[in-house]
Amino acid sequence: MISDRLKEVILKELELKEYDLKDETVASEVPGWDSLNHINIILAIEKAYGIKFKGLEILKAKNIGDLQKLIDSKNPL
Amino acid sequence: MPQAIDFQKLLTLLTYDKHDPLLFGSSLFLFFFMFVLIVQRLFSNQKALRIYSLLFFSLFFYYKAAGIYLLLLVFSSGFNFYFGKLIYTRKTAFQKKIIFIIALLVNLGLLGYFKYTNFFLQILSDLKLGTIEPLQIFLPIGISFFTFKALSYVIEIYLEMIEPVKSFRDFSLFIFFFPNVLMGPIDRASAFLPQIEEDNPITKEDVGRAIFLISCGLIKKYAIADYISLNFNERVLDYPLRFTGVENLIAVYGAALQGYCDFSGYTDMALGVGLLLGYKLMDNFNRPFKAISVADYWRRWHLSLSTWLLGYVFKPLQISLRSLRKIGTAIAIFVTFFAVGLWHGPNWTFIFFGVLHSFYLIFGMFTQSIRKTITDKLKITGTKFHHFIKWFFTFHLLVLTAILFHSPSLQYAINMVQQIFTYFHPEVFPQFVQAYTTVFILIVFGYLVHFLPASVEEKAQNLVIKMPIVFQALLLMVVIWIVVQFKSAAMMPFIYFKF
Repeated sequence: MISDRLKEVILKELELKEYDLKDETVASEVPGWDSLNHINIILAIEKAYGIKFKGLEILKAKNIGDLQKLIDSKNPL
Repeated sequence: MPQAIDFQKLLTLLTYDKHDPLLFGSSLFLFFFMFVLIVQRLFSNQKALRIYSLLFFSLFFYYKAAGIYLLLLVFSSGFNFYFGKLIYTRKTAFQKKIIFIIALLVNLGLLGYFKYTNFFLQILSDLKLGTIEPLQIFLPIGISFFTFKALSYVIEIYLEMIEPVKSFRDFSLFIFFFPNVLMGPIDRASAFLPQIEEDNPITKEDVGRAIFLISCGLIKKYAIADYISLNFNERVLDYPLRFTGVENLIAVYGAALQGYCDFSGYTDMALGVGLLLGYKLMDNFNRPFKAISVADYWRRWHLSLSTWLLGYVFKPLQISLRSLRKIGTAIAIFVTFFAVGLWHGPNWTFIFFGVLHSFYLIFGMFTQSIRKTITDKLKITGTKFHHFIKWFFTFHLLVLTAILFHSPSLQYAINMVQQIFTYFHPEVFPQFVQAYTTVFILIVFGYLVHFLPASVEEKAQNLVIKMPIVFQALLLMVVIWIVVQFKSAAMMPFIYFKF
């Protein structure tokens, strides 16, 4: 389940008003989430949650559900 | 009187000859492939025999192209199969990382040795850091393709995208598979290996699609690419100063089309041959000259390589340099496209080709907002005119890289550009059309078909799929007849063979 907070961070970075982000959503499906923007989204998430990902952790995330799990594992609150 | 079979000649035909690999479209390949299909049909209910025979045929196909270096392909298969398992079974992240780095070093080390040793020796010599005579190193055909294919397997295991395959037989088929071993597509283990497991039957749709693809591939390669290359492009590219700017410009448009028709023609045939054997290979092209930006082009051209480099070179670099923001992304783009250039071969023209693409992309990234502001002010953002302008600039930026890609050396490329800008002479154009009518018609035809809406191709493909098998066979015969009419005395090797 994708949290409202994560949705908000991603949609704000992509300048999207509304988009239904699900666990199985992959980056390429979301308008504007291209290979150049990818890093801005990662940086925005790190800043919003005050966490730091390892490179390999991000590469292993296949979809937004994986990204949510990764955030939860670093920030249990 | 029936003629006795000349076994000596037959043996020669089946023996490795470096000048005579089994090219798609050659008559020997046709016989070879017919034989493969008959054997596959005979073993239709025995999966194991079908796979073993396909392994044997694939090894023979590679042997015909590379001789004893077939052993390198076998080594690549064994090594990566074993190291894939090793990465997966290690307990700690550190151990996995070490094994993964060893796998990378061995794969890239072999590729580097066979492909780039003499290039680096030449650089050392040019920089006066020592003079070492070039080594006698044979370049095993297709090494860049099968190395990247094998590497994708260990990388996908390391990134936990797949689990190691249990069967060495199945993994070897992934590495050896003859339709894509020499020139790609660089298929991914995660997409190919499940197909062996599932063993889906070949449908009527697969056969129809295969006939369509093979027909398109034959026409692209032999009727367009080879014809315009032999009869015009090569003459201008080899002696740009003997021709006016207008002829140089047409040769450049022709070279871009030739490159596309040569490589995508091979890919179409590989996809078709794969389908007739029951395997769906990765799509490699999506009308690249329709691109409206250089980034868009790389989402349409040589997709199996561009997505490989995007996923396994660009992304890791971009992520590790993310604190530098756009500068970090620019460095990642530069390194990735330097690798694109180097991957194509040990030649400065290819390296500059890659570097030029990286400059385009970096420039595009840094000017994105300025360009948006300008088009907003001019009120053309999103209009058809805007789309046309973007396409026009992109197309000509790409054509400029095509000069580098196809020229024998940098000086030739510079000469071509100079001729276009300083010795144009448009009045020569009617004479060109008169002297090279067929070449001109083929270039126009090639681009026209390229720019047709994708729906037209889809409709044509569906038409072939729905045809009775007799008409499909007839279509293929007509295509072969057309190709024979165009075919010159000697077949041209595929451009991407040397990579």
